[in-house]
Amino acid sequence: MRMQSRAGGGGGRSGSAGPRGRDQGRKKGYKKKFLFRKKKFCKFCDEKVAYIDYKDVRLIQAFTPERSKIFPRRISGTCSKHQRKVMQAIKRARLLALVPFLAD
Amino acid sequence: MLQYETIFITDAAATEAEIDDLLKAYEQVVGTAKGKVLKVEKWGKRKLAYPIHRQEEGSYVLMVIECPADLVKELERRYRMNDRILRYLTVRVEHESQLGPSPMMRPRPEREEPVPEMPVMP
Repeated sequence: MRMQSRAGGGGGRSGSAGPRGRDQGRKKGYKKKFLFRKKKFCKFCDEKVAYIDYKDVRLIQAFTPERSKIFPRRISGTCSKHQRKVMQAIKRARLLALVPFLAD
Repeated sequence: MLQYETIFITDAAATEAEIDDLLKAYEQVVGTAKGKVLKVEKWGKRKLAYPIHRQEEGSYVLMVIECPADLVKELERRYRMNDRILRYLTVRVEHESQLGPSPMMRPRPEREEPVPEMPVMP
């Protein structure tokens, strides 16, 4: 996804600028890593989605990565209204064995 | 009368003819209760995401019906009585997109189409 790509990566503790040139002239510090992060937004609101279909396996899978846990709102940026719909759809899809409860 | 979307999964050993028989029976049930069948979709055999009653595969059938609320109870009772049915789900129709063809009936997307973008779990 667009905004996220760098957030968790590295987890570097020191402020060594590395390949990123724009950090070089600045003071060392923890905060600057987040300065240029794009604001998260709810992609469902963006597209004005009114109903999230539990039969849409591809969409459901996009929201249940790896261990098939539900992708948290704080990371995906989905608004609470749509997150609730996503959650409902995921749970229905799980019941119908369209997606696993737990991937191993 | 409300609209409902109901899906049942039969075990993979059930033949096409058996599924048609089942469908016919259920449509009749809906008909006698003055309901209407708005849509029927047979998804065919699919691999289950996890085994149900030791079955790895199942055939999915979807119906969209308009019927009085009592009928849902009756229909689900019949689902439960049938040993061939592994799982069922009935939900209210919340959005008109549920009346059209479902995502399952869409042709398989081409390779070029990007996978819905989502970050990896950290």
